[in-house]
Amino acid sequence: MGIWLSRMLSYFGDREARILVLGLDNAGKTTILYRLQVGEVVSTIPTIGFNVETVTYKNIKFQVWDLGGQTSIRPYWRCYYPNTQAIIYVVDSSDVERIGISRDEFHAILAEEELRDALLLVYANKQDLPGALSEAQVAEALGLHDIRGRPWAIYKTSAIKGVGLFEGLDWLSSNLQK
Amino acid sequence: MFSLLYGFVEFVLRREEFRILFVGLDKSGKTNAVERLKTLLTDSLGLEPPRIVPTVGLNVGRMEAFGSNLVLWDLGGAAGLRSIWDKYYSDSHAVVFVVDASNRGRLEEAKAAFDRVMGARDLGGAPVLVLANKQDAEGAAGLTEVAEALGLAGGGGPAGGAPCIVQPASAHTGLGLAEGLKWLVDAVKKSPRRRLVTRAAS
Repeated sequence: MGIWLSRMLSYFGDREARILVLGLDNAGKTTILYRLQVGEVVSTIPTIGFNVETVTYKNIKFQVWDLGGQTSIRPYWRCYYPNTQAIIYVVDSSDVERIGISRDEFHAILAEEELRDALLLVYANKQDLPGALSEAQVAEALGLHDIRGRPWAIYKTSAIKGVGLFEGLDWLSSNLQK
Repeated sequence: MFSLLYGFVEFVLRREEFRILFVGLDKSGKTNAVERLKTLLTDSLGLEPPRIVPTVGLNVGRMEAFGSNLVLWDLGGAAGLRSIWDKYYSDSHAVVFVVDASNRGRLEEAKAAFDRVMGARDLGGAPVLVLANKQDAEGAAGLTEVAEALGLAGGGGPAGGAPCIVQPASAHTGLGLAEGLKWLVDAVKKSPRRRLVTRAAS
């Protein structure tokens, strides 16, 4: 009964979800954030600190935190971990050289106790660039298959062209309802 | 002494955990089947079909059923992502292969995918449940037709003679799902796969 009622209610009123956008520097996190929020490509500068915006999509208010990805500021990511429902992990699919580093950062996130229940959405970004790895290749390189206990999804995206981003949010909204 | 006794009671009452892998072509209804099983076998409600989006990765369903803890791994079936499947084989106790029985045009493709799964070494001895899904659709292929299409009649199926059945099912109405899963869990309990070492899940 309680479940039915809360299900019913969730069809009305917006629900809220706190989402962190993480990934190496220059992966396209800020471009993605503003693509989602204003639907345009804005010119960005490397983020020192964070940007936060609210994106309402499919009855869910996504509070999206875009954290700077440079090596020196990655240790501060953990300050934002509590109460996070989902991680959007952004990979520059054309940056084959640094995909190993991206993998290590990703696995450090997986090991975080505070993020144990967070959903994992991966954007294989920059698909518009030549030589970009496919989503299967990115999944393999990141070791997504090591994840056994919680859902994950990977989408090919191009923040510049606006491809794939909302498909990822569809997945998030579907899985956040559970 | 007490803790020893407690430990013993806990050991006796402990439920075994079995990990069951759901694979099959895209649009065959794997996630629908898993969500419907949640509704059928647990107190919580699975997602309704209109809320389900194509899986491009992994869904996880957990339930206590048939005296065991079950972890259902539901993997995306799109051609580009099928390479992920084999990464999960070595940790799976059993396989559910889902077929869209209403789509005869893709039965051949389903057979190719099925043969690849059956040929995987890491799945040696694992029981296989084939769900001939979408029986609610008019004119859907029945048990015999699906079994023939997958080559089960002609010696196909799991290598090494592991048990395999075809179960007509409908993720929409719930037909055949619980029965099929029960058969599979019982088959795991009798199979060498039962003693599969559990790797720490992350």
